Amino acid sequence: MAPKVNLSTSVRERCVTGIQGLDNALDGGIPRGNTILVTGSCGTGKTTLSLEFLVHGALDDETCLFISVTESSEKLLNNIIPYDFFEESLIKKGKLIFVDMPVVYEKLGLDKLEFQLEEVDVLVRAIADIVKEMDVKRLVIDSITSVCYRLRTQEKIRDFILKIGATLSSLGCTSILVSEISPVEERYSLFGVEEAIADGIIFMGNLERRGDLLRTLQVVKMRGTQHSRTKYVLDLTSAGVLLVPLLKGGSVAGG
Amino acid sequence: MSVTTNVADKLMTLPESSAVALQIRAEHYFDAIRGILDNFAIKKELDSIYITSTIPSQSIINALQVLEVDMSNIFFVDCISQIMMSTSSKHEHTIYVESPTMLENLMLKVEYLTKRTQGRNDIVILDSINSLAIHNNTKILSEFLHLLVNNLRAKKAYTVIFSMEEYRSEDISNMLNIVVDETIIAAGE
Repeated sequence: MAPKVNLSTSVRERCVTGIQGLDNALDGGIPRGNTILVTGSCGTGKTTLSLEFLVHGALDDETCLFISVTESSEKLLNNIIPYDFFEESLIKKGKLIFVDMPVVYEKLGLDKLEFQLEEVDVLVRAIADIVKEMDVKRLVIDSITSVCYRLRTQEKIRDFILKIGATLSSLGCTSILVSEISPVEERYSLFGVEEAIADGIIFMGNLERRGDLLRTLQVVKMRGTQHSRTKYVLDLTSAGVLLVPLLKGGSVAGG
Repeated sequence: MSVTTNVADKLMTLPESSAVALQIRAEHYFDAIRGILDNFAIKKELDSIYITSTIPSQSIINALQVLEVDMSNIFFVDCISQIMMSTSSKHEHTIYVESPTMLENLMLKVEYLTKRTQGRNDIVILDSINSLAIHNNTKILSEFLHLLVNNLRAKKAYTVIFSMEEYRSEDISNMLNIVVDETIIAAGE
């Protein structure tokens, strides 16, 4: 009898994002413990995608933390799409937690515009303490770019991302670092360091095709899993982020 | 037998997941729509998702209201009203796509509606391949049809693609032949 052919490879435990199209592209979800960069210019859906990742985790009884750096969480909650699957009780039960980074800075006495290496350590320890104390399984920092502005040098940014990634991974926490770039940027992060260190990169963009502006998503890199590298068009709806493959028939430059 | 009954009867013989091209003449347009939505979909307890790129959804809704068709399970994806800068009021069962060239967005809106109507099977009506062909080239339109129909088959939904007889072309026939199981000619007897 011919031997059975087994095409499956050993699979790392997945953190299912709950975004069906993305989980399909990632062969089941983000490998648990990965720290990934969700990057793109403004209006491409980075925050919405990240929030949905947390909401699905919270619905699955995982503790999820959103660290807001650029805007207050109150303002953020007012502006999010009212998901059909969102439950207010997730916040009341402490499954979905929002923390404003300026409050963390204040508590830590980090009031300088530029952080030194020791202060980077203080910040990483503070975030790790919150994650440990609350047994956080999913974390979003929106945005890492704003934190990096205070680090200034590539050395400190590398140090921060390496340490935060290693710490969160050791705690079994799957993390999304939101990265902002300008629309014409030809790299995936503003400082060029974040993209090299992260375990994964999900690139979100705007594609103009014959006068139509399409929101797109592409998984550029993801350690620990096979993944699609095709470009998808996405829609932000009350049923969550929906994805379909970008049609290539009328191929255009950059498409 | 009327066009309405004829179309509905032919659809009744098809298994779920079927994709059909419905070849119609302009004079039978509303009779065919009524046959699908009123006589077929309602009897089969299907949710109807109607993609219109030919005339604004409001015109179809007005006609269905005159015909006293129950609208509670009929939803529209309208990709023509906005490009026409139509100022008519927006119907609660209609989702608008900015342009018939945004084919991915048509798929996304269909996906959204199928998610919203979970629990019941769907019929998706594409009205029409000819009007989409005005705005899109053959390659991208073929790719769109292929993805849309196969996605709907996987969801066990029926797909009906309108093909207007007056605007038939070899390209359109070839495109349809690749994706549909059958062509129904809407005619009375």
